[in-house]
Amino acid sequence: MTEIMPNITVRGPEAPRNIEALDPVFTVSNLSVFYGDYEAVRGVDLTIGNREITAMIGPSGCGKSTVLRCFNRMNDLIPGARAAGSIMYHGEDLYGDHVDPIEVRRRIGMVFQKPNPFPKSIYDNIAYGPRVNGMKGKMDDLVEQALTQAALWDEVKDKLKQNALSLSGGQQQRLCIARAIAVRPEVILMDEPCSALDPIATTKIEDLMQELSRDYTIVIVTHNMQQAARVSDRTAFFTAEVDEQSVRHGRLVEFDETSRIFTNPSDKRTEDYITGRFG
Amino acid sequence: MAILSTPASTVRLASQGRPLKEHLFRIALLASLAIAMIFLVVLLVYVVTQGWSRLDLNLIQNFPSLRAVNAATAGVLSGIMGTLWVVALTALMALPTGVLAAVYLEEYADKTKWYNRLIELNIANLAAVPSIVYGILGLGVISRGFGLGPSVITGAITLSLLVLPIVIIAAREAIKSVPPSIREGSLALGATQWQTIWRQVLPASVPGIATGSILALSRAIGEAAPFLLLGAATLVRFNPDGLDSSFSVLPVQIYNLITNSRPEVQVVGAAAIVVLLAILLLMNSVAIWLRNRYQKRW
Repeated sequence: MTEIMPNITVRGPEAPRNIEALDPVFTVSNLSVFYGDYEAVRGVDLTIGNREITAMIGPSGCGKSTVLRCFNRMNDLIPGARAAGSIMYHGEDLYGDHVDPIEVRRRIGMVFQKPNPFPKSIYDNIAYGPRVNGMKGKMDDLVEQALTQAALWDEVKDKLKQNALSLSGGQQQRLCIARAIAVRPEVILMDEPCSALDPIATTKIEDLMQELSRDYTIVIVTHNMQQAARVSDRTAFFTAEVDEQSVRHGRLVEFDETSRIFTNPSDKRTEDYITGRFG
Repeated sequence: MAILSTPASTVRLASQGRPLKEHLFRIALLASLAIAMIFLVVLLVYVVTQGWSRLDLNLIQNFPSLRAVNAATAGVLSGIMGTLWVVALTALMALPTGVLAAVYLEEYADKTKWYNRLIELNIANLAAVPSIVYGILGLGVISRGFGLGPSVITGAITLSLLVLPIVIIAAREAIKSVPPSIREGSLALGATQWQTIWRQVLPASVPGIATGSILALSRAIGEAAPFLLLGAATLVRFNPDGLDSSFSVLPVQIYNLITNSRPEVQVVGAAAIVVLLAILLLMNSVAIWLRNRYQKRW
């Protein structure tokens, strides 16, 4: 195994697992995403393993966020956006005619690039998801549980009635994670969750992700390669390619165990990107 | 050292006549402001001095009279009450309608469709239609067509139509200023579009909607033209007691009092103007208070 990036610590090189054999939550086949006539992403095949952290990396405009937003059908909200190919969620077609995107989003939570707490109290931020989904049970317990899981409880337990926007950026992002957890999703999608945060807050979120991966399946888009190397089990490397008609499309170049992507990538483009020769 | 330093001759820190221009510009700005303020102050002082002798409780407790004998005790109570009735009903009708229309345009309408763009354009046009035209609409369609006659409800419906475009525009601006990330955050939690609007977007836009609506309503309070056409009687010696009651409004009473030939009666008109301005200032202060109370926090 050649050490391409000796300064990057890779999450424990466990027993090598076969991509085909993993317990899939999502199976993406030949996925293309269009905005109007423009094909933003072309022909992606990907498998997201249960209770694993899958990182999607690549240069700007390579379509990694676009793919991420297909997993909870957030792209539906963009006029003219549509997906071709298939994304199977536990064997069910996410884009099937009978599928309700609201139900999809309840099971597949999302954390955004910029922390976006609601302009309400900390308590109401957490309670919002369960309330709109008509969840029963003691709300106080639910709020405490979600905040505890998101490693925020100790910092906010005395000020639950305070406006969420009074928290620091890192706390706000953990609040958003707690908010997503509160509806008990199976999957949490994270779209560059640390890009607006300082290094200390970033470390906290990364630790939290490791913690959460015991119970949740996590897919994270990141610009930070070290972050992908530190936290993820598998990594998908995307890049933008220009086709014969000189139109740019996002493509999936390589998908493998993170340790392999960062130490022994099979594609030259991946190697160039992670060694900093490109991107 | 010597090589790096700039020759003294090229340094120009000395004044180049800019302060004078800056000064003139400031004066021009102040003068523009002064023109607006001076006329307002002149108007206020003039009206208050004219009506001073009649700025008493009788003014807001008694019914109007055009007889010089009663000029010392006559009031504009029926006008005040009529205005309050009409404005309250207008708010009741125009605010929900306007806000819902704005929600449709901002949250549901597909802006690539020609009919939605046509609607948008025409709302902007409607906001610019002179109020007298709404008066004609009220007279022809609501008063005579629907047979509601010169009643409180006719006045309120007409005024609602008049303020509706302004309320829609204000509400749209307020809804538009709610960041998309709030909507995304809500939808990503499995909230429906309506839940997102009702629980996130509308609460966040309440200050903007309230401020805009109050300003629209306070404009409506000063309207006399549509009511002149609608036949809001000038000399009403009773307060409205229902939707079908005949009524008068303050601006119409003021118009009537001021155009009277007897100076004693004109004084009552001047005093009534002060009352109208006081109501307007009160409403505007509420708008400002609301705006400051619920400052945007993102």
